[in-house]
Amino acid sequence: MAGDIFSGSRRFSDGMNALGLAAVCGVLLMAFIWQVAFDELPCPLCLLQRVGFVLVGIGLLLNVRFGPSPLHYALILFSALAGAFAAGRQMLLHIGPADPGYGSPFLGLHFYTWAFVLFVLAMAWTAAMLVIDRACADAPRVRRNGPLVRAIIWLFFALVAANLVLTLLECGFGECADDPVSYLWWPR
Amino acid sequence: MTGRPMIMMLPFLTALLAIGFAISGRRGACIGLWVVTLLVFAAWCQYHMTGVLPISL
Repeated sequence: MAGDIFSGSRRFSDGMNALGLAAVCGVLLMAFIWQVAFDELPCPLCLLQRVGFVLVGIGLLLNVRFGPSPLHYALILFSALAGAFAAGRQMLLHIGPADPGYGSPFLGLHFYTWAFVLFVLAMAWTAAMLVIDRACADAPRVRRNGPLVRAIIWLFFALVAANLVLTLLECGFGECADDPVSYLWWPR
Repeated sequence: MTGRPMIMMLPFLTALLAIGFAISGRRGACIGLWVVTLLVFAAWCQYHMTGVLPISL
């Protein structure tokens, strides 16, 4: 009976981790589309928040590829904390009443504020998943993922590669401007 | 800005390698590169967070 319960929760946990990775892909895809379609270049802190989402995604990917583990959930928590730190810092930079903020708002909030909200949600999600996966131990085993999960994994890989290329085009092999207005290697 | 060299795309590169290792089934290498990415993230945060915030906490 207990085995059935844990087997059911494991299937649920697998689905939730794949869904979480898809959500991270959604965030990265949104940032990618906004940057290319609306020509809004990300500032260094914006790029660091993207790195925070990528780090969260790696923790989720480990759960998807090797099975859930407290270690993988710890990586997600550390990543979300790091991302929330960068997003919170940018919120505080623009919190003054006369400050217009950086970039265009989306649904009434700037992207760094959305990022902060999402990182906090990622922490709450991880706490909930640690309750659901409380019986899991750190026993990594490479899994055979289904076609849909494989598609999510490769989409994640492609989006991180796209971010690498865009950052290279914007900043080259150096630092990015604090308030970028054009790409270093992409005349548009 | 502190005048020290920094490469903004570096954490994306290390993260991409980490993802590649996870896909190929090498968990230890993936976690190692996750740590490297987090360290670069922390260093780049320190690099870009040198200004004083216009608020009192």
